[in-house]
Order: sequence, then structure tokens, then C-alpha cells
Amino acid sequence: MTPFNRLVARWRSVPATAAFLAAVLLLAGLGIIFQSERAYHDQKVREAGVQAEILAASVTAALDFSDAAAAQESVDALRVNPQIRAAIVYDGDGRLVAGFERSGSALPPRLADVMPREESVIMATAPVIRDAEGVGTVRLSLVPEPLSRRLARYSLIALFVVMAVLVAAVLGLAHRVLGRANRELEERAGALADANRELKVQIDERAKAEEQLRQAQKMQALGQLTGGIAHDFNNLLTVIQGSADILQRPNLTEEKRIRFAGAISQTAARAAALTSQLLSFARRQPLKPEVLDLNEQVLGMADLLDRTIGERVQISLQLAPTLCAIEVDPTQLESAVLNIAVNARDAMAEGGTLTIRTAEAEGNAERGRALMLSISDTGEGIDPEMQARVFEPFFTTKGVGKGTGLGLSQVYGFATQSGGDVFIESAAGEGTTITIMLPCSDKQAAAGESSRKSRSENPALVGRILVVDDNEDVGAFAETLLGELGHQVVRATTGKEALRLAAETRVDAVFTDVVMPEMGGLELAEKLREQRPDLPVILTTGFSDRIVTSGSGGLPVIYKPYRLETLAEALDKAMRPDAEPDSSVDGRAES
Amino acid sequence: MPPRRASSARKAARRLAAPLLLLALAQPGGAQPLATAVKAAFLPKFARYVDWPPQARPAAGEALQLCIIGSDPFGKVIDAAAAGQRIGDNPITVRRLATAQFAAGCHIAFVRGTAGRSTSRLLQALRGMPVLTVTDAHDGSARGMIHFTLADGRVGFHVDAAAAARSRLSISSRLLGIALSVRQKS
Repeated sequence: MTPFNRLVARWRSVPATAAFLAAVLLLAGLGIIFQSERAYHDQKVREAGVQAEILAASVTAALDFSDAAAAQESVDALRVNPQIRAAIVYDGDGRLVAGFERSGSALPPRLADVMPREESVIMATAPVIRDAEGVGTVRLSLVPEPLSRRLARYSLIALFVVMAVLVAAVLGLAHRVLGRANRELEERAGALADANRELKVQIDERAKAEEQLRQAQKMQALGQLTGGIAHDFNNLLTVIQGSADILQRPNLTEEKRIRFAGAISQTAARAAALTSQLLSFARRQPLKPEVLDLNEQVLGMADLLDRTIGERVQISLQLAPTLCAIEVDPTQLESAVLNIAVNARDAMAEGGTLTIRTAEAEGNAERGRALMLSISDTGEGIDPEMQARVFEPFFTTKGVGKGTGLGLSQVYGFATQSGGDVFIESAAGEGTTITIMLPCSDKQAAAGESSRKSRSENPALVGRILVVDDNEDVGAFAETLLGELGHQVVRATTGKEALRLAAETRVDAVFTDVVMPEMGGLELAEKLREQRPDLPVILTTGFSDRIVTSGSGGLPVIYKPYRLETLAEALDKAMRPDAEPDSSVDGRAES
Repeated sequence: MPPRRASSARKAARRLAAPLLLLALAQPGGAQPLATAVKAAFLPKFARYVDWPPQARPAAGEALQLCIIGSDPFGKVIDAAAAGQRIGDNPITVRRLATAQFAAGCHIAFVRGTAGRSTSRLLQALRGMPVLTVTDAHDGSARGMIHFTLADGRVGFHVDAAAAARSRLSISSRLLGIALSVRQKS
């Protein structure tokens, strides 16, 4: 681009108003110069005329007396004015008398002769008059100031005009540039707003997609869970059903009867353990730390683990013989172990060994005594760069729908919340070991076995028990069990009926279901307390949201399915006035 | 100023001597008669550059009197020169007087002494009268208000403005401008 083109391009960017202003200024400047030039010329013409007249007057006498010398003197007086190029005096007959020509060229000898003249020269002629009679003529030629000098004078005006034009142009340009910048800003702001809107739409769509994905995953998980439960329960029910069928056969030997009854009992216990684990996995139990024995907990999970990780994986337990007690939430501990075990199983698609070790960690200054629970697999291992991320929530290496990515994050949360820690060791092809550190507790683990024994030593109390259950079968079963324990039983199927019976007849204790239509067990207990504050009430339920969330209000709860011993123990404890209040008696079988 | 001015005038005169000489040669006679003719031509013209006091000024249409007092060197030449001139409305008449006795009506007087009466005596007689006195260096050193002289062969004149002022005459500066020298009024 040549400089001229650039100038043209730049000039185009000057707004019309500025250009118009500049043009007006230029025209005004030119007008001023033109006007003053004309005025100058007029003035010079007048000046020439006046000078000629003055000369004419001053040479009158000289012409009168034909005194060329005097006339010359008068003419020469004009030489001091540099603008007068020539001054010539002619007498009445038109003959040259005196004069000068600055350039030195010859003077025209007669008035009639034309003087050689230049373009810019101003000519003036004046008659020499004596008594109204012309006695001669004066001719004067005057050169105005050279154009260059006049231009120099006008240059100031020109400078002002140019400056004004420049200012107008610059202002216009600045205005245009500012306007363009503003427009660009507006455009950018608009584009930004559009992008923002687009982004919002995308975010919304993504949130919707994620919600759908979550829902799909939930449904898939639910499907897997229900399928698994159905499978397990069908197996257990097969055993129970078969055993019950055999028991109904006549002429059964005592030895067979005991064996199949025992099989039913054991299988039911396993089913109970299974539901318990399910509930704890679903975190539907009140969370609270308990002082417990780690080995005992691990052993208690063996069945669950067996079922969870399948047949291709062998479980090896290496438990240290004596361990300190720990104070953790058993449900969360179970979940943690289960989560690690599930990951281990998934890492060993071709089968392998899952090793669970317990040991006492070496104490150090930073933390006191602690226990170590490490779970190792013989799977494919985890890449070093992934090891740091496995505890992040939602981080998963499993395919879509296979895992939530929450398993190990639950482990991490459990370990740290319990005052411990968790570590991962892994090498590709050499399996993975996840170790949970849990601090030792000074408290003693509750030894359920021994307390039960001591209780059974006391002679059992018997009395009249009001059994409340809307389910006829369960109610009848409870009546049978209580009858076996030597109690008298009164049955009611609704809360209302129970209240009436409690008021009308002698009742020593109430054993009521929690979940019932119209009036629930907790409500019934409350009303009974108004009626008979001293009447012991025992609650029973398979599962109750209300008890999980708000507790049983200090009343003992027996969870279904319960065993005979559990029921006896709870009744015995409730009916003893000096018994310690125990809000929760876990009636589930232990394996 | 006058000396410098006079010298420049002389220089100019030298430069223009040839044309003037030509002009002079056009007149009849030799060098001296030529000068006389020029002087004769000049005399009536002086009236144009002199202002007389009101009582002496010629009334409209009245003749302006040019007197030749003493001896007359001009003869008919002066009559011809006066006839060709008009000062405004006023024609010029030439009077020849032997003495200054009857010079009362004169406006311009060319004074030239005779054997009996010298120029200075004639001038003495005219003193105080509103008459422009003119003398010629050729005739002697006595000077009137205007004194002809020949400088570089050209007729010029000296002006005594002081004497004119004493006679209540005022001489135009234009005339003073072409004079060879001027005695200024004090």
C-alpha cells in the first residue's frame, strides 16, 4: 500500500461532518486570503494613483519653467519607495521631461509610447494641471510586494487554517475510532452473552444427561441387587423348604428330625445375616461408633464376603491372635471391607486369592497404638498415576454402569473419620493391597457371649404378655414362642384393640410390631404409657425408617427375624424392674 | 538643504542640457538672446506662484500688470510671452516704466538699472510695495525677490522669500522647489 493509498484510506475513515468542517475551514481560509489579496491590490492601485497625483502636483512648477532637473528631483524622491518601479513625467506635448526606471531600461521618450510592463505591475497616470489646464502627464508603475512576501504574510492565516483542519480531522478520526471501538465492544459483549447462553443451555443439557445417567445407573444397580438377593434367598429358601417338607414326613427318626430342624435354623440365620448386611450396606441403620473386636467383625463378614466375591476367588484370613479394641461404626467398617473386597474381586476376573490380615501396627509418636486391616488381592494391580486418584469420589476404572466410583471414597471417609488412615500399595501384575489404620481404644469390647450366659443363669420370669401384630401368622408364631417360654399370651391385631385389652385385662408386658396400619407400635407405646406408665413395652420390626431416623424412644427393639433366646432375654430384661434400660437388643443370629 | 539640492539640480541640468539647448536654439538669436527669451517666457509665469495681499490682488477679469522698470532688455519678446499667458481669469499686460515712481499698479516688476539710476536704487524705491521684484545677475549684483542667473548655460533663478514676505507677498513652495537657492524668511 503506497503512502498515498494509506492517506486516502485514512481520509475515508474521517466522518463526513469532520470532512465538511475541514472543507469549510479551508474555504474560509482561502476566502480570507483572496479577500485580503484583493483589498491589497485595490489599496496598491489607490496608492499608485495618489502617488501619481502627488508627483503631478510637485512637478507643476518644474514643467511650467521647463525645469527638467527640478522635475527629476521630484521624481527621484520617489525612489525611496521600493515598490515604485518607474515614474515618468511628460510635458504638455507628450515629451519626456524626467523619470526613472528602476530596472535601468530605457524610458519611453513619448507619452504615446507604450511602456513595457509586467503582469503584476500597477500603472497609474495623472495629468499635471495648472489653472485647469493640463501642462503635462505623470506616469507611474508600481510593483506590489512580491508574492512570496505576501504569501509569507498569509502563511499565518494558512497555518491557523491548517491547524484547525488538522484538529477537525483528528477529532473526527478520534470520534470514528472511538465509535468503532464501542461497536466492537458491543459486539464482543453480545458474542459473550450468546456464548454464555449457549454454555447455560449446554450445562442444563449436561445436567439432564447426568441425571438420566444416574437414574439409569440406579435402576441397573437396583436390578443387580434385587437379582442377587433373589438368587441368594432362593437358595436359602430351598434349604428351608426342603427341610420343612422332610420334617412333615411321618415316622421320622429323632436323629433326622434334629438334623433338618437344625438345617432350617442355620439357613434362616444366614438369611438374617444377609438382610442385615444389606441394610448396613444401604446405611439404613443408625450410625454410631461401638467398641468392638476387629477380628470378630472380620469373621462376622466372612459369609457376606463369600457370597459377594464369588466362587473363583479364595478368601484367606490371617488374623493376629490378640488385638486391642477399636471404636468404630461397625456398619461403616463392614461397608469399607465390602467395598474393598468388591474392587478386589473385579480386579481378579480370572480368579485369585483375597487375603484379609489384621495386625497391630507399630506405635509411634505421631499416633498412638493402632490396628492394621489390610486386604490384598492377586489381581492386575493399579497404575502408579491412578493410585493417587482411587480415593477420589466418582473416580472409577470400571465401565459405565459397572461402578459408582464411590466405594473407595467411602473407605477413605470411614478411615479418616474414625481417626485412622488408609494406604494403597500396588504394582502392575502384582496385585493391590489396601490397608486401613484404625486407632486402638481404651474401652473393652462388649463380650455378648458372656453376658448372655450370665443372664441365663437367673431364673426366668413369666407373665401375661399382650402380643400386637397386624399379621396373623407372625402373631400366631410369637404366641407359640412365648407359650414355649411359659408365658400366657393375649393377642391383638390393632392398636385400638391392644389398648382396650390392656385396660380390661391384666397384662404384664406388651410385645408389639412397629409398622401397623392406623396406629403404629410407637404410638401405641406412648398411649399405653399414659394408661399404665409401669407397663413394659418391647418393640419388634423387620425394618423401620422411623426408628432408624428418630430412635425408639428408649424402648427395647427386637429386629425380625429373631430367635427364641433373643425374645426370652428381652422379655426377661424388660420385666425385671431393676433391669438396665437397653434401647436396642439385636436379635439377629450371629454366624 | 539648499546647497545639496542646488548641486543635484546642476547635475540634472547637465544631463538635460542638450534638450534645453535644442529648445533654446529654436528661438531666434544667439546664446545671449536665447537666455533673454527664456527669461521673458519665465516672467509672466511667476504670477502663477505668487500670492498678493488682497488689496493688491487683481480683481477678476482685471489685468495683471508686468512692469519693466528701467531699461528693457526684452523688447517684443516679453509682449509675446505675456500675451500667451493667463493667470486664471486675469490676462497679463506689460508696462514699461523708466522709474519706480508710477509702479503702484505693478504686480511684477523686472528691474534693470540705467546709467542714471542703478538697479539697487530702483529696488529701494519699490521696497515695501506689494510688487514681486525680479532682477538679472547679468545686470549686476543687486537682487530682487527673484534673481535670474545663468548656471551651466541654463537659466535659473534665486528666490529671496524673506524680501517677498516683507512686501507681504507669499511665494509658492513649488516655485521655491525649482529655485537654484532660496533665502528663507526668518
